[in-house]
Amino acid sequence: MADEMMAVFEKAYHGGPSIHGTLRLPVGQPHVTVLFGPSGSGKTTILRCLAGLERPSRGRITFAGETWFDAETGGQAPPQARAIGYLFQDYALFPHLTVAGNITYAIPELDRHERRARLDEMLRLLRLEGLEDRRPSQLSGGQQQRVALARVLVRRPQLLLLDEPLSALDAPTREQVRGELRGLLRGQGVPTVCVTHDWMEALALADEVAVIAGGRVLQVGPPDEVFSRPADADVAAIVGVETVVTGKIFERKDDLAALDVGKVRLWAVEPSGRGEAFYLCIRAEDVTLEIGARPSSSARNHLAGLVTEVRPAGPVSRVTMDCGFALTALVTRQAAQDLALKAGASVTATVKASAVHLIPR
Amino acid sequence: MNWTAILLTLKLAALTAAILLVVGMPIAYWLTYSRRRWKFLAESVVALPLVLPPTVLGFYVLVAIGPKSPVGHWYQAIVGHPLVFTFEGLLLASVLYSLPFAVQPFTAAFGAVDARLIEASWTLGVSRLATFFRVTLPLSVTGVVTGVVLSFAHTMGEFGVVLMVGGNIEGVTRTVSIDIYDEVQALNYAGAAQTALFLLVFSFVILSVVYAVNRNVWAVWPMK
Repeated sequence: MADEMMAVFEKAYHGGPSIHGTLRLPVGQPHVTVLFGPSGSGKTTILRCLAGLERPSRGRITFAGETWFDAETGGQAPPQARAIGYLFQDYALFPHLTVAGNITYAIPELDRHERRARLDEMLRLLRLEGLEDRRPSQLSGGQQQRVALARVLVRRPQLLLLDEPLSALDAPTREQVRGELRGLLRGQGVPTVCVTHDWMEALALADEVAVIAGGRVLQVGPPDEVFSRPADADVAAIVGVETVVTGKIFERKDDLAALDVGKVRLWAVEPSGRGEAFYLCIRAEDVTLEIGARPSSSARNHLAGLVTEVRPAGPVSRVTMDCGFALTALVTRQAAQDLALKAGASVTATVKASAVHLIPR
Repeated sequence: MNWTAILLTLKLAALTAAILLVVGMPIAYWLTYSRRRWKFLAESVVALPLVLPPTVLGFYVLVAIGPKSPVGHWYQAIVGHPLVFTFEGLLLASVLYSLPFAVQPFTAAFGAVDARLIEASWTLGVSRLATFFRVTLPLSVTGVVTGVVLSFAHTMGEFGVVLMVGGNIEGVTRTVSIDIYDEVQALNYAGAAQTALFLLVFSFVILSVVYAVNRNVWAVWPMK
């Protein structure tokens, strides 16, 4: 197929584990694939193989009909021959060049007017106006990140490769940039492969999540599916968030928002007041189970439903219930026995509004 | 003061430094980025002039460029006169003798450039050669200046190699250090003192200027 990228390769390390990369993404349309996994799982190696900075030991990488790597023929396109934009984890801005110098670095062949026009376009797009004569060392982390993005986008790449794009930022900046980045990536109209170990980043950016551990892709799918229905215990341990569902805003009251998830209404803390569609993420340890009638407490959300499965996991039991969507709770084994929890039991789950984490879509 | 010797020495040092700037950079680039197993052998060869007595180096160069050697024979066939006991022969010996003083600081400077910046340049579509001139070199300027000045200064003061390869021909191969030695041999202490003082002041001024311009980096013998 000419309009997709196919990558199936293996990178073997002397005396170490080998990294297996398997990716398939559409070309020429916005599509964000997030490689999600713990550090040391081989995510960045996969990204570097796609960029041509690392040579795979086996396999084949093709991009829209071009062969980038083929172990059979031994051919490998150098990074310069690939229409990529690679965003480094710490941005790798050239310290001896100004912001303008960094942004126009990749387009020396254009004439002066065209170069100026592209520079202005990037300064506008990434809100860097007035900073073009600064050096990277005179910029904040968020500004550095935007300069690095501008430097990459200015040459109009066909594929974006982002290595932990937000990890070098402090927490408040990260929160803000996360939302902007998704919009920016959508606007570029090209596919993106993004590496991260932060599940909020993965949920915020991804159209598709590939969970990676020990150098292998364990599960690929839409983010809510991967996070809510991990294929196996390994994936579940890596993603760490048990319930992820999509919801739409019904109403807002002060800093609270009521969201409809199917037929169920949930309250969550949402101070930003922006956005309509969200992922709702609930950690299993934040869900309390009670038997019988709807109790009264300070918690905002009381969800009645039937237990579908009780699975012991060490000192605790993982209880899955159907309350209009699949909700997972973590209770001690003692509590599970006292409440006589088993499949079919009628329970009420209690979740504080502050425990429902919202990630804008 | 023997101005002929002083001007000859300055010319020799300047040409040596210029040649080492051109020749030393590709060698340093290779030493920095090559992953060959036998790289240590090349590093040892480049560093040899640091430990070898100048007379030993001079002896081998003398043999290598003598009219009976292939190099000397070939040179004479093309240029028309022998290489030994000429300014060109002396220049060749000086380049070899000062090689580590240029290559070592260059290598240290190239190695100190963040590899991520170079990879960033490649992924931005810029060729390896252009990346060298647009990223590596601008970020290694201090090390390159250090190497050039060191090889210049080192050539100014060489003695043993000149004696072996150049001999002592006025205006052709008689450098300042040889001139001072001659004056002392002839018991002309006043003449020796003048030239020696000139060399001392000149060297001090050059080094001061470099130190002032280039305050923080002064890697004379950095290993990596």
